[in-house]
Formats: sequence, structure tokens, C-alpha cells
Amino acid sequence: MADPSDQAPDDDGADLGATAMLEAPPAATEPVPGPAAGAASQLGISLRGVIQEFPAPEGDGVIRVIEDLNLDLEGDGIYMLLGPSGCGKSTLLYMMGGVRPFDVPSPTSGAVLIDGRPCDGPHDDVVMVFQRYGNRPDMTVRDNVAFPFRFKLWKDRVPKAEVDARVDEMLEAVGLADKANLRPSQLSGGQNQRVALARALVLRPRYLLMDEPFGALDAQTRDEMQTLLHELHRSHPCVIVFVTHDVTEALTLGDRVVVLSTRPAKVAADFRISEPRPRSAIWHRSTEAQRFEERILKTLHSGSGHGHLRVSA
Amino acid sequence: MWNPYGPISPAARRLLGVAAVLVVLGVWALVSGMGWVSQAKLPTPWSVASAFGRLAMPDQNGDSLLFVATKWSLLRVFVAGMLVVIIGTPIGILMGASPKINAAFSPLIDPFRSAPIVAVVPVLVMWFGIGELTKIVFLFMGAVVYLIPMVRDAMQAVPRTYYISARDLGATPWEAVRHGVLPMAMPRVADAIIVSVSIMWTYITVAEYYNAEKGLGQLIQNARRFSAMDQVFVGIFVIVGLALVTFQLMRTIKRKLYPWEAE
Repeated sequence: MADPSDQAPDDDGADLGATAMLEAPPAATEPVPGPAAGAASQLGISLRGVIQEFPAPEGDGVIRVIEDLNLDLEGDGIYMLLGPSGCGKSTLLYMMGGVRPFDVPSPTSGAVLIDGRPCDGPHDDVVMVFQRYGNRPDMTVRDNVAFPFRFKLWKDRVPKAEVDARVDEMLEAVGLADKANLRPSQLSGGQNQRVALARALVLRPRYLLMDEPFGALDAQTRDEMQTLLHELHRSHPCVIVFVTHDVTEALTLGDRVVVLSTRPAKVAADFRISEPRPRSAIWHRSTEAQRFEERILKTLHSGSGHGHLRVSA
Repeated sequence: MWNPYGPISPAARRLLGVAAVLVVLGVWALVSGMGWVSQAKLPTPWSVASAFGRLAMPDQNGDSLLFVATKWSLLRVFVAGMLVVIIGTPIGILMGASPKINAAFSPLIDPFRSAPIVAVVPVLVMWFGIGELTKIVFLFMGAVVYLIPMVRDAMQAVPRTYYISARDLGATPWEAVRHGVLPMAMPRVADAIIVSVSIMWTYITVAEYYNAEKGLGQLIQNARRFSAMDQVFVGIFVIVGLALVTFQLMRTIKRKLYPWEAE
């Protein structure tokens, strides 16, 4: 999956505000909000002219959180969505996941396409992992991993014997085989997040969306989890979209790093990292890594020039 | 220096509790025993104890007045309590799960939390007569208007992530409520049931005020009519005792059912 289409590190800043400029295929980047214009063969997640507005907390008017965002994520890889807190990264991820925890339509306009089809609800091939693990405290680790198979959708598709086999395999893969009968309260934060990861991957999704999954963990545990995620991605290839505000995390895991500006979020920079994982401490200290980091920070800082909030009637 | 916010050992806690009760009993014994307050207003602790003995003693038919009264009151609270739980819990769960159902039901239920439910008794008597039905309906109404909103609040207190996460994992909306939200709300639902049943013990005397032939409320009512203050106290103490026992019993059951809650 190491992709050598590396053109990012040198052209400093030239791409501010540019969108998806690195995509090799004849870029279908012009906003096509019209649902699935016969694009069933196109694999990947596409955001087309996505705009998200929320009602302003006080008074009338709306706050635009995401501004005309275009993005194509395709091919098995780890895609990092990097941006400052509150820039709308999670909102974007929820859109891709097809879950709508808001009282307003999401997206306000534009289209989210999964494999060329408009995404208007939870998708069987897209599974999310949240920062709060969402483990049921009354169930064992094993039952938590098997949790989705309580739902009719999966019960009908996966026979019981296969469920057991899959759960065993995932417990092994995340290193919790010997903790299968414990409850979440008996596990550490990192182990709880392993349970959440196993529960997502047990469904063998094409797309795994992760919303700052390691944000609540201590530094050492975060390192371990990053290594684990890399290994899981190798053994269970899929498209991982990973939201973070941690620059180092983005450089540690990302095949591609999409930097979002502050509100309203736009793609401020977008580049590939061809260095294969796991990336050593030596690489992190290399000129290449330093350059990536400098560019990211520069992009983030230059983004704060215009107002954080935009209010329109 | 004495710090009221500091921790307390279990032994010290029990000691403090027992001491407080003993102090009150002592003051009571002193005030009534010394004749500072007339027996008609405040009977002595020992006259209450002997009244308890007399009431508990089987009469010529072998029935103990107190035992029969207790049995009837318990039975009424039990029947009304079952109805409250069976009818109220599902309504509260649905209201907590669905903002739409909540919007429709809450104006019908929430105002009664602060309404004087006792004032409804004459209406109930007109509708259901003066028999058992009125008593059960009254106890039911008194408790269910507390239970439903508390169950709803318990459902709404579950972090939304659990619903969203279950939906994302392929659950239908109902499955997400059933498997994602409800199990997380259950400890607080159990708390709501415990509180509601406790409230019923405060209403039992009112329920048995009208035309009861048996029951602790009737026993108190009867004793009051004959100015037998010691017997009134017996009735009050038995109700308080029963309320305490049911409370502890239900709390023990709750802890057995949801051991993970405290974690």
C-alpha cells in the first residue's frame, strides 16, 4: 500500500485551499451533488461540494461548519483527517458513517457517496469507532465483540458458528483472547478501545471510520494502539478514515494526510506519505518528517486568518 | 480539626446512626415520661410498645389485629406496585426513547407530579365506588406519575453514543434502543421503581382512609377516633418499618441485578 506518488513535501504552501489535487484518476472533483450519476463502479468514499450548517446557538441565523468540501478516498489505506478541535472533522466522519446525531439535515447540501452511491443512512460496509469506547459494561469482552450479531441484519447473514469463529479471531488479533470473560470495568482504557476495534472489524467492513479513537489514552498506550492499528490494517485490509488533531499521530499512521482548516472546514492541504509503516523514530526525526510537520503546522496557522464563525441569515 | 466532609468508616457510620435514633428515643421518653407533654398528645415509648403487644396479640378468633392490617396494606401496595411497574415502565421507556412520544405524553403526565393527587380521591370514589378498586387506582396514580418521568429521564441520561454506535453497527432504531440504550438505563430505572414503591407507602394511609375495613391506614384512623394515641404511633411505626424493609429489599435486588453499575 506504500504509494510512491509523492509530490507533496517540496512545493511548500502552494496547495493551500486546493482540493484533492493528488488523485491520479481523471479527477471527478467537480461538485456533482446529483445522486449517483451512474457511478456504481466507482469505489471509495467521495464528498462532493459538502456544506454543513448548524443553527446558531443564540439568535437566528446559521453557523457554517463545513464549506464546500470535496474529497475522494479510495484504495486500502489509512487516511488521516487532521484539523484543529471543533473544525468539523467529526461531523464529516458522521456523514460518511451515515449516522445523523443532529437535529438538522446532514450534509446541508452536497453529496456523500460510498462506492458511488449516496449515503443516506448507516451503511453495512462502513463501521465507526468512537473515542468513548461504547462498550456495554454489563457484558463480557467476548459478548461486546459479538454485540453487532444481536441485530437482525447480521444475524440473518452470519451463521452462529461463523460468529464464534470471527469473534475468536478478532479477540486474538487485538490481543484480548485471555481476557474474553472479563468485563469492561476490569480493563484499561487501551484494552477497552481494543474491544471497540474488535467489535468494528468483526463485521469485516470495507471502511473503518475512527473518531479520535486514541485521544483519551496516555502516550504509551497510544503508541501501542497505533502499532496495533497498523498490524490490524495489514491483516484486515480496509479503508481507514482516522480523525485526529495530533500531528504526530497523523505522521505515524497516515498514508495520506488531509489537513482541514478551522471553521468553516475546507481541505487546506492534502499529501501522501510514502514511508512504509511502522515508521521508526529515526524517520520521525528525518528531514522528510520534519518538513511534513512544518507544512502541517504552517497550514493550520495560516488557516486562522479569517473568522472562526461565519453567520449568514 | 473536625472536618464534616471527610470520609467515615462503616463502623463509625453505624454508630452515628444508632446514636441519633437513641437520642431521639431518649428525648421522647424524657418529654413524655416526665409528663411535660400530655399522654393524649405524645404517648410514652413504653405505652406504644405495650399497645404494639396488644394489637399484635391474637384475639379470640386467633387473628392478630395488627397482622391482618399489615397483610392488607402490604397486599394493596404489592398489587398497585405491580401495576405501576408493568404499565408505567414501558411508557417511560417509550417516552425516553422517542422524542415524539415524549412530546405527546409529557403534558399529560408531568403536571401531575406537582398536582395534589390526594385531591383526586373524591373523584375516584365517584368513579370507582368505595371498594378496593378505588384504593388500588389511587395508589397506582400516586406512584405512576413519579415513575414514568423518572424512567424517561433514565433513558435520556444514557449517552447518545450508545444509540449512534448501535445504529452504525447495523441496528434498526428499535434494536438500538433495546440493545444499546435500555440496558444502560436499567439501574436508574430500578431506582425509579424503588422510589415509586416508597412513595406508595406514604399514600397507603390516605388510600385506606375511606371505608377500609382492614389495613394500617384504617387502624390508625380507628385509633385516632378513640384518641388511642399509642395505637396511632404503632400504626405509623409499622408503616415506616415496612417501607424501610421493602426499600432495603429492592435495593439489594437491584445491586444483585446490576453489579456493574457502581463501577
